[in-house]
Amino acid sequence: MRVLLMSFFAVLLTFGGLSANPSSKGFFPYQYETLTLDNGFTALLIPMKGSGLVAYYTIVRTGSRDEWEAGKSGFAHFFEHMMFRGTEKYSADDYEHMLTDMGANNNAYTTDDYTCYYMVIPGDRIDTALDMESDRFQNLSYEEGPFRTEAGAVYGEFRKNRTNPWSVAYEEISNLAFDKHTYKHTTMGFEADIKDMPNGYEYSKSFFQRYYRPENCILLIAGDFEVAETSKKIESFYGDWKSGYVKPQIVAEPEQTGERSKEVIYEGKTLPLIWIAYKSAAFDADNKMIAAASLLGNLAFGQNSDIYKQLVIREQKVQFIGGSFGFNRDPKFYSIRTMVKNEDDLGYVQEQIDKTIEHFKTEPVSEAELNKLKKRNRYSYLMGLDTPNQVASNLARMIALNGSNGIEAVNQLYAAYDDITPEDIRAAAKHFLQNDRRTIITLKGDR
Amino acid sequence: MKTMIFSLLIFLLGSSAAFAQLLDEKHIVKLPVETDPTVSFRIFFNVGSQNDPKGKEGLASLTASIMTGGATTQHSYEEILDRLYPMASSISSQIDKEVTVIYGRTHKDNLDDYYALLKAVILSPAFMEADFQREKTNILNYIQKSLRYSQDEELGKETLYEYIFEGTPYAHNEEGHVAGLNSITLDDVKAFYKANFTQSNLTIGIGGGFDDELVEKIRKDFNVLPQGKSSNVDVAKPAAINGFEVKIVEKDANATAISFGFPIDVVRGSREFYALAIATSWLGEHRNSSSHLYQVIREKRGLNYGDYAYIEHFPLGYRRSFPPSNVPRRQQIFQIWIRPVPNEARVFAFRAALRELQMLVDHGMTKETFKLTKNFLKNYTLHYAPTTSARLGYALDDHFYGIEGDHWQIFRSLLDEITLEEVNAALKKHFQYKNVKTVFITSDAAALKDALVNNSPSPIEYESEKPADVLEEDKEISTYPLTVNPENVTIVPVDVLFEGETGS
Repeated sequence: MRVLLMSFFAVLLTFGGLSANPSSKGFFPYQYETLTLDNGFTALLIPMKGSGLVAYYTIVRTGSRDEWEAGKSGFAHFFEHMMFRGTEKYSADDYEHMLTDMGANNNAYTTDDYTCYYMVIPGDRIDTALDMESDRFQNLSYEEGPFRTEAGAVYGEFRKNRTNPWSVAYEEISNLAFDKHTYKHTTMGFEADIKDMPNGYEYSKSFFQRYYRPENCILLIAGDFEVAETSKKIESFYGDWKSGYVKPQIVAEPEQTGERSKEVIYEGKTLPLIWIAYKSAAFDADNKMIAAASLLGNLAFGQNSDIYKQLVIREQKVQFIGGSFGFNRDPKFYSIRTMVKNEDDLGYVQEQIDKTIEHFKTEPVSEAELNKLKKRNRYSYLMGLDTPNQVASNLARMIALNGSNGIEAVNQLYAAYDDITPEDIRAAAKHFLQNDRRTIITLKGDR
Repeated sequence: MKTMIFSLLIFLLGSSAAFAQLLDEKHIVKLPVETDPTVSFRIFFNVGSQNDPKGKEGLASLTASIMTGGATTQHSYEEILDRLYPMASSISSQIDKEVTVIYGRTHKDNLDDYYALLKAVILSPAFMEADFQREKTNILNYIQKSLRYSQDEELGKETLYEYIFEGTPYAHNEEGHVAGLNSITLDDVKAFYKANFTQSNLTIGIGGGFDDELVEKIRKDFNVLPQGKSSNVDVAKPAAINGFEVKIVEKDANATAISFGFPIDVVRGSREFYALAIATSWLGEHRNSSSHLYQVIREKRGLNYGDYAYIEHFPLGYRRSFPPSNVPRRQQIFQIWIRPVPNEARVFAFRAALRELQMLVDHGMTKETFKLTKNFLKNYTLHYAPTTSARLGYALDDHFYGIEGDHWQIFRSLLDEITLEEVNAALKKHFQYKNVKTVFITSDAAALKDALVNNSPSPIEYESEKPADVLEEDKEISTYPLTVNPENVTIVPVDVLFEGETGS
């Protein structure tokens, strides 16, 4: 038994029909179908005829946010590696051989809020993908030896990342800004926990049992495939997957009530960095304030902002500056980041950032600037949907945050953007950009 | 099955094969895709870092950076950004040894406005002092702060290229050297632009949903560029490598990045190139777990994050799954990239990769790996150029290499023709393992030098139990013979890399 929901959009657009027409009813330009199985498993199916390829994404709504147990930070990412270690039906070597035979562009990545497994394959190999992926998500099986070996590869990845000062700054700001919530650690995890990963074999099985369940995973297929036929096969391959998701016991972060700051010394040479992070809100497609905030980040600190033109182009005080007011499942960061050319200018640059924030809290942005950004956002999104892989990749986070409503959330968000006024931008600045809610990291090289 | 693949190829590649053509003396490569609502531009000049004058290393790169990151005679840089902003478009430059490409893409809705800005960037750059200072500082900061200290993997590859191409026009990295950049004046930039951004060096690439009217307009507009002289220089011919030559870049690092390789005498377009491409894919397809080196070093032993092999330049591989187009070179190298390994495993990992290379050269591919890799590549090559802009880039590269037809289409059709014997013969002819240059980015360089020149065994210990066959193989790897003469090992502190002249 399955429920097949069909969604049709006013703009019937395929590869060649992108439109930035703001009057379209639904912004997302492709038709899609939603398939929900009795066990809670959802598949979102986006046919793109003629593309020849299929992007097959499995989005697990578990990321480093869900690592609530002490000593287990970084485990979601580590576990992502283990998902390539085989089942009874297909050993790791078999799995690898099948991918190679298909010429798959396959990989996986883990973020704070989700883990994503993808393969891009010729459309006529979708049955193989269904077989392989449904099998490993239900029947993963590995011995302790390979588990411990993989821990070494993860530590290698950590070492690789540590040579980047931004990775160090990210670790520091996460650790300082959060007291209780799991956003306190990065997706890589604390180094001590990464070192201890080889000892977590038994824990890894529990991790799989709790989180890799049909209610917590969404299959997203975009590309050249037959929807009706594939829907039947999805039911056949995934229908017996037993539900049993166990929610992580994530502790809500108490309201931040004072500014936090820290100067960090990076072991190496780097230009100094400033990272200012204000506490954000959990994503909610119905919350106009969140849509306004995401525009605010670009208006205030994007490449067309006054401060960018001042500090990057005219005064040449910073290598770059940018605002990243993104979306998360729980309240996390609205970030302003900059790389300063001369250590002596750190105070000045901070002052200019503060002035900009004050300005946006008190003065509404011009209607013309706001409209430019709205137009930019629409073109930017639509021009990034050329291929099945781009479509799936662009949707992954929204699906992770909103579950089966992920595509509808895109439509809601862009509809909300259309209605945002300069006054909404000012209100969002006033609400979110309070000094008591921010954490500042200043990072300098040690030589 | 055949029909499926055929239609797939038509979609992905057909247009370039059917329509790519050169027009008149202006060299225009067109890739029309009627259904594409965007238009892609790639304005390609046959001038690159190999044209930097001695003592001005970085001039070509700086010139292109100021063009796309500065004012035109019509608009200030701020105004240009302001106009591009609502289009969600950009005008960017990419420079390599032999070419500079200025590229961008916009929606048809904004085509006229976008093209006007792009045209001005190329035909009437203002070369303002403020833009010059900003771009120069940015490039210097990249070299002095980022590349040397926070990008060990790219650092290893750049250093390897400089090491192999010592004494040739390829000898310095594209961004330039600190001394060279500091000696460049704005007048140098203007003179370089005038001499090299000419019709003789120009090929215009246009793809997507454009019409003939636009092509005619472009042809007319770009007529204002002077005819000029070709900036072509002789192919960079690196000196012969004398056994194992090693450069150890010393820095405070808890992990070691390793790159090694040697020049090869084949480039894209020749049948032998495609034969080697098959073998190289098996040995080390970039960022793909099908890579044999990845299986040996990462999967079985967990020593690092990945290990790959190349026969063409692949910049910024640490953040890309597929290479960019428009980095064509007439002289390529074979190289192996070992991502950072713990310092205690650096010699072992190097030996493991070198041993695999030797086995490939000596024994060739097997029937089984050959068949599997061909199947893999038939589909995997479809991922290399999925968008109009990428396909346009490859069409321009075809033009550079003098390839008639389409590189990827040729590769796919040759997969059915090239035999195992051909691959293994090409391996013996072009690959070897006795004359190799290697770069290590690591700490405690003296100890590494000792280990290499003394051919000291490099046994390895694991946190976890390993299968007997792995442990048995480890014995062979850890004593794999290294013949390294002490005079062939150079230790350099990281602070001096990319600092002075290159002797080119």
